[in-house]
Amino acid sequence: MTDNEIILQIVQGDQDLFRKLVERYQPLVFRTCMGFLHNKDDADDLTQEVFIQVYQTLPGFKGDASFSTWIYRIAVNASLNKIRKSSKNSFIQRMETVFGFDKGQEVTFQIPDNENPENILVLNEHREWVQKALNSLPENQRTAIVLSKYDDLSQKEIAAIMNTTEGAVEALIQRAKASLREKLSHFKKKK
Amino acid sequence: MNCRLCQKELDAYQEGVLPEGTRSQVENHLGECKECSESFKLVGLANKVMADEKSMQSNPFLVTRIMANIGELGNNQAGYQPIPFYQKVLKSALVAFSVAAAIFLGIMEGNFNTPTQSTTKLPVEMTYMNDVVLESVDLLSQI
Repeated sequence: MTDNEIILQIVQGDQDLFRKLVERYQPLVFRTCMGFLHNKDDADDLTQEVFIQVYQTLPGFKGDASFSTWIYRIAVNASLNKIRKSSKNSFIQRMETVFGFDKGQEVTFQIPDNENPENILVLNEHREWVQKALNSLPENQRTAIVLSKYDDLSQKEIAAIMNTTEGAVEALIQRAKASLREKLSHFKKKK
Repeated sequence: MNCRLCQKELDAYQEGVLPEGTRSQVENHLGECKECSESFKLVGLANKVMADEKSMQSNPFLVTRIMANIGELGNNQAGYQPIPFYQKVLKSALVAFSVAAAIFLGIMEGNFNTPTQSTTKLPVEMTYMNDVVLESVDLLSQI
């Protein structure tokens, strides 16, 4: 059953068929959210929000672009909106941390049991550097690199999602990589 | 190969997708240039962290959770009944009538419920009394 056939039946009232779409696209949406948020629980919650939004706006899907392009756009926009909102609340969070109300985010990475504590510390530090470097990228560079690295999409697919040209996507990815290298080397020198 | 070209190819080199000739050029440069070698390590680090995040699995109950939310959403939409037109009109008319009745009763209350007038009449000679010549109360206070 193709996406368009499923969508048609859902719009006609077969709500249960939406499960098929969720099962098909949930890993893709989760990976995209993870690329922007770097936290499993947040990515889970956002994936849920994305699918609710997809369900509510499904009658408006015209089929001009493929369904996967459409769902990627929703996931990217939802992720960017979440980041914008959380950066607005960051001042409050900093105050909560200062006054001890906020316990901070849990480390959600899976660390092998046999890893020694020193390596774990180094690994966490490196993860923090990469996440900070990714978070500091401009939105379009960040979107291009997340879609390229986390979703393994081609430049053509990324261009369709971002509504731009392949050349522009290539330039964005190159700039993002250069910026990442620069920022990581800065973190390393600071250490 | 210069540093600029090497830095551009680092990612492809890391992924192992470079053609043989370019790959050996990059390898030679990395062996000679400390700065590019450092950059290569950082690219590897970034790729490793991103690959780790990419390999993470979502909550196994996520699909069930999503479908439960969608079900709730559907029920809420099914439970929503639009208010019929006549009910809307009747409600508005009732509110308007209540306001008008309240204003009317207020006016009636103000007009008909005047305070009772004093029945004790003053003697006629009091009307001829000249108040101006009477002693001021202020004078009394000076005593």
